[in-house]
Amino acid sequence: MLKILIPTLMLIPTAWGAPAKWLWPTTLAHSLVIALISLTWLKNMSETGWSSLGLYMATDPLSTPLLVLTCWLLPLMILASQNHTALEPLNRQRMYITLLTSLQFFLILAFSATEVIMFYVMFEATLIPTLIIITRWGNQTERLNAGIYFLFYTLAGSLPLLVALLLLQNSTGTLSLLTLQFSDPLQLTSYADKLWWAGCLLAFLVKMPLYGVHLWLPKAHVEAPVAGSMILAAVLLKLGGYGMMRMIVMLDPLTKDLSYPFIIFALWGVIMTGSICLRQTDLKSLIAYSSVSHMGLVVGGILIQTPWGFSGALILMIAHGLTSSALFCLANTNYERTHSRTMLLARGLQMVLPLMTAWWFIASLANLALPPLPNLMGELMIITSLFNWSWWTLALTGAGTLITASYSLYMFLMTQRGPIPAHMIALEPTHSREHLLMALHLLPLVLLMLKPELIWGWAYC
Amino acid sequence: MADYREAPLASRPKTLDPNEYFNLSPNHRRSEEDRAALRANLKRQYQTQLNNPHRKELVEDPALTRWVYARANPYLTFKPTFKTSLMGAMFGVVPLFVLYYVFKTDRDRKEEQIKAGTLERKFSLSS
Repeated sequence: MLKILIPTLMLIPTAWGAPAKWLWPTTLAHSLVIALISLTWLKNMSETGWSSLGLYMATDPLSTPLLVLTCWLLPLMILASQNHTALEPLNRQRMYITLLTSLQFFLILAFSATEVIMFYVMFEATLIPTLIIITRWGNQTERLNAGIYFLFYTLAGSLPLLVALLLLQNSTGTLSLLTLQFSDPLQLTSYADKLWWAGCLLAFLVKMPLYGVHLWLPKAHVEAPVAGSMILAAVLLKLGGYGMMRMIVMLDPLTKDLSYPFIIFALWGVIMTGSICLRQTDLKSLIAYSSVSHMGLVVGGILIQTPWGFSGALILMIAHGLTSSALFCLANTNYERTHSRTMLLARGLQMVLPLMTAWWFIASLANLALPPLPNLMGELMIITSLFNWSWWTLALTGAGTLITASYSLYMFLMTQRGPIPAHMIALEPTHSREHLLMALHLLPLVLLMLKPELIWGWAYC
Repeated sequence: MADYREAPLASRPKTLDPNEYFNLSPNHRRSEEDRAALRANLKRQYQTQLNNPHRKELVEDPALTRWVYARANPYLTFKPTFKTSLMGAMFGVVPLFVLYYVFKTDRDRKEEQIKAGTLERKFSLSS
């Protein structure tokens, strides 16, 4: 574990000490080496499930895919941010890379934490660099509003979690994940225990986000710069999913009755946010609402607590992380050329940037869950386990799949096909850096088709 | 005014069309000419920007900016009327209760079948 953490920490002196011409290539190479070393975590060596076991940190098949995704994303964020920070003074560029690195550091600690309070502290700590990135480097005045919504929604959800965790520590004596799964089932009979149950899960539901409390997500994703959008969509949402999957082990048997409203919100949210996507005029807002839609399926998969549901949730989280980040990078290539997110203004791009169309096509196909990409496999596992839970969910999930396909197609046709508007002359040709960025997003997705056991979580041991 | 000739790409404006303007009052004619002058000025500004060979960005359209702002901030212009309340209830409140009822009765029925031992598990992975 330290062989990843210390290089990540050392990326901060690299960012501040590198000479100006070599800042971005150096940090890119450094973070790429960290990402490649993190791939060694994927080999699950031990029988107990927990590998790289230390006193406070460990990895198990649930957290390893998310850790590798986090480490993989840092070089991609650095690649994506090179253009829009090029006009800023050097020290501000160094600060930007430092913020991204500190976010990475907190995320690695969060996913590998063995003590739930450490996970909670890191969960909260990731809010601060993200808030700074959104409010300082966002492009419109709405970024202040977005930062406030983001911070206060998540904080309001996680304060009950702190109280619930302290209560749990009182009653079980430990909060170490290594042993908490094997402790006696808790006596959860009084009404206050129901509130405790809600307190445990609310923070993660707000983070996922669940449909009723999702309002912070479109604002934060749209107003953040590209690296902020990437890390938000790809990893920070999955913090909520990961937290839920860890906590829900201790919350039986209350979950059988109390989870109904949340499953209903999640499934109805899949349809509602998918329909909103069809009416969006802002490209990044469309991708943000599609994130809410996919995460609604993940929430449904987790709350029914079946092995297939958990596996499907983890697979969909990883696949969606890569796909959503790829789509935000594509939206950023549009934004850097036209400085506008309105879809009407940047259409018919196939005539102007045909190679980028190929990436748009693959990313849109991944978003609408084309087989044999892992997006479909995760969705299919969740849909079948929901069907097993109750036949009627098929109406909602089936309609959700249809709406997902239609808005992905809408997004592709709107940005790529059709006549190119007369006002768009002299668009910059596509940089090799942008092609590399898209390839590095979609290559892991394609490779995961060949060895999907890596992201099956606990179902593969 | 009477010598105005039609340009190859622009038709004669209505205020200068002799077939149209002899029965209009001079005030009306003057105001129409002023409006035509304003429009022509705006058109000239737009054409200058559009045909500038060194332009790399989009031509800014203030109407589009206002429209995008309105689309991004719907709560400023939201008014609770009968129709909007009905939409909110039909799509946001009623389905939640309907779905709760549907899922709860279905799951309770399944739970009773499990307790009675009559649940038929038709799908088997291993045989």
